[in-house]
Amino acid sequence: MSFPQQALEGVRVVEFTQGMAGPWIGRMMAWCGAEVIRIESHRVPGVVRLYVSPHEPERGTQPEMSPWFTDWDAGKLFVAMDLKQPAGVELARRLVARADIVVENHRHGAMRKLGLDWETLEAVNPTLIGLSSSGFGDSGPHADCVTWGPNIEASSGLARQSGFAHRDSATTQYAYPDALSALHGLFAILCALEHRDRTGEGQRIGIAQLETTVAMLGPEMMEQLAHGRPPPKLGNASRYMAPHGCYPCAGEDRWCVITVRSDAEWQRLGRIEQLAPLVGDPRFETLAGRLAAREEIDAAIADWTSGNDAVALVELLQSLGVTAGVVQDTEDQYQRDAHLAARGYFERIPHLRKGEVTACGIPLGLTGTPGRTTRAGAAMGEDNAYVFSDLLGLSAEEYAAYVEAGAIEEPDGEP
Amino acid sequence: MSGSQGALAGRRVLEIGGAAGAYCGKLLADMGADVVKVERPRGDPSRAIPPFFEDRPGPDRSLFFLYMNTSKRGVTLDFEQPSGRSLLRRLALRADIVVESLPPGALDTQGLGFASLAAERPRIVVTSITGFGQTGPHADWSSSDLVAGAMGGALYVTGEADDPPVALAGQQNHLMACTTAAVSSLIALRHAQRSGRGQHVDISIQETTLAVSHISGVGKWLDDGIVPRRVGSALTASVPSGAYPCRDGRVYLMVNRPAHWRALAAWINEETGNQEVLDPMFEGPSSRRIEYRELLDIFISDMTQLHSVDEIFHEGQRRHIAFTPLCTTEEVARDAHLAARDYFVSVPHGECGPLRMPGAPYRHQATPWAIRRPAPQLGEHNDEVYRGELGMTSAELDNLRHQGVV
Repeated sequence: MSFPQQALEGVRVVEFTQGMAGPWIGRMMAWCGAEVIRIESHRVPGVVRLYVSPHEPERGTQPEMSPWFTDWDAGKLFVAMDLKQPAGVELARRLVARADIVVENHRHGAMRKLGLDWETLEAVNPTLIGLSSSGFGDSGPHADCVTWGPNIEASSGLARQSGFAHRDSATTQYAYPDALSALHGLFAILCALEHRDRTGEGQRIGIAQLETTVAMLGPEMMEQLAHGRPPPKLGNASRYMAPHGCYPCAGEDRWCVITVRSDAEWQRLGRIEQLAPLVGDPRFETLAGRLAAREEIDAAIADWTSGNDAVALVELLQSLGVTAGVVQDTEDQYQRDAHLAARGYFERIPHLRKGEVTACGIPLGLTGTPGRTTRAGAAMGEDNAYVFSDLLGLSAEEYAAYVEAGAIEEPDGEP
Repeated sequence: MSGSQGALAGRRVLEIGGAAGAYCGKLLADMGADVVKVERPRGDPSRAIPPFFEDRPGPDRSLFFLYMNTSKRGVTLDFEQPSGRSLLRRLALRADIVVESLPPGALDTQGLGFASLAAERPRIVVTSITGFGQTGPHADWSSSDLVAGAMGGALYVTGEADDPPVALAGQQNHLMACTTAAVSSLIALRHAQRSGRGQHVDISIQETTLAVSHISGVGKWLDDGIVPRRVGSALTASVPSGAYPCRDGRVYLMVNRPAHWRALAAWINEETGNQEVLDPMFEGPSSRRIEYRELLDIFISDMTQLHSVDEIFHEGQRRHIAFTPLCTTEEVARDAHLAARDYFVSVPHGECGPLRMPGAPYRHQATPWAIRRPAPQLGEHNDEVYRGELGMTSAELDNLRHQGVV
């Protein structure tokens, strides 16, 4: 019996996307074998393409060489079109007619202005699944706001609730709401696909990244809503585990984390000679005692960790059955984490301009239908010929007419 | 609460294991799947996670448990005992998806692993969520949300440069692993329906954290040799960005596009008379401004300090500049935008009801997200599932109760 090796083979996605919250969805679907076509325009190049390599700043922006572009867009097909041209919109609709799924994450109202609003797309393709993702969603007083991931971190309560109590807020370096909205968006699409497989009915899905992010603070928001007061800011501490923190290790900006989840685990920590007196203190036998003396215990542990190598220390702790980890930076993960290497986590992807690049893996863990990224480094319009000629069946004359009308933008230069 | 069928209506999910995997079941259940959560007879340890409703502990009062287990049914089962094990097997073989977050190999040793279940039910999908995945030298390491954040690289790049690395509030690493697990479960389910073959989904929480935080990841480092670090509220690659002081608090700003910078510079010039900010050397993509970050931060603060957060937010947005307020949970709870969208939902609950909580993370037009029932009480659906669906007699069930199996 023959069956698809790639789980999403046969699914076609058309993307009107920018940034990361939209594109990561298609990146993962492409890895699973879906045909993902991203529409771009030279008029507004995507921000992840605005990459100036520090090695060659004199070359200016190198859109194909951006590692962010690999991370969020590798494996897709790229067409270049101007959607401000009526003929461009007409062509985009024809493409949508051939798609199973449309993903867009422009500012609320942008698609309508172009003539690509949901009602139009649904009329063109009645079984379409359409995901629309924006910072504040498509209704409500702030629907028109311009936002990026970090703005949502700020407005959702996440930044203010995170970090140490003496700080106003803590922010990630990775625009967390973009990634979490993309994962939820993909799940939402797959639900809609399941429904369509069964009933033949498509549908529109709306995501307000603000709402998705607030949902990541469920228990914290419930506390606020039920008790009318904000939850405490915990930093690295826990309300039901102690010790539970981040401790300095030997070297510059080196740290480990230790989280003791039970009284038994606390006793195991006592098998470390320098910590035996601390663990032997009868005040700390129970969680309540350890929670009450959190700072005292943290200071004693930090005394011990600060002279030690983070990696050796975590290996020792784990061998004793104590839950611990190295605070790894990028270099640690790539060069020193034998576990990630053994699992083949990082993916090597053929790159159209650089031979091969290494990128962060796609963590879907589909052992029966492992995915892959076919290529990176595509130029804008790289796949114009396939998409417009082979897929939509434009003749050479028609193609030229669209180019003439400014609807199709010619691909960037040869690699 | 909604009577409408969800997108996943008719799909059966069995959830085994603790707090780390609970959100995966919630995602599936709130979209209509029939998720049966298996707890030990003494109750899932996550029932003891504080805080509790009205600060009074109780097995049905943990806000964490009440949030992470909505729309599920609950049964108790001790699968350390042989009769419990065979019961669990019967439940698993009725499922389309088994979601589990036990240590790697734990189900296998009970004869309940993927290979064993698939031998009898080839289409089954088993989704395992563990700290480090099923294979590799750290597979048996013990993990927690903080450990995953550390090993996955999120911690190192979060917080102030002068502080230790710091975690985000909530169990964000577990949540992202669960969301990824829910995604993979549905992809595997779809493939199983077409091919007749299920599969084992191996989710490593370290890897999902790594993927979620990968803007600061390996690809960029291999290219430019810059190890991303903590830089407070700003993003290293985006200048300007970060929190800026206003008269009554701080406002968040993000500038990524050349046009947004021009709009901001023009506004600063109007408000403060600053001519320098208009210098063309600041124009273009963010990378052009990186070396001027501190200077530009001063220019921006000179302006934001003249106004309230609200004024900067509204006038900034009018000018298409991404200024947004930095909100506390208190402000989020009474946020006018969320209120206008009816975001928060109210869930009836016998003991603690009605409970208000965050609502739909996505809005489906045809098959809306809905909380279909409150989190189950301990063993609430034992009768319904064991007698009603597995066809046990009352005597059989009583017998299992006496043995302490359920």
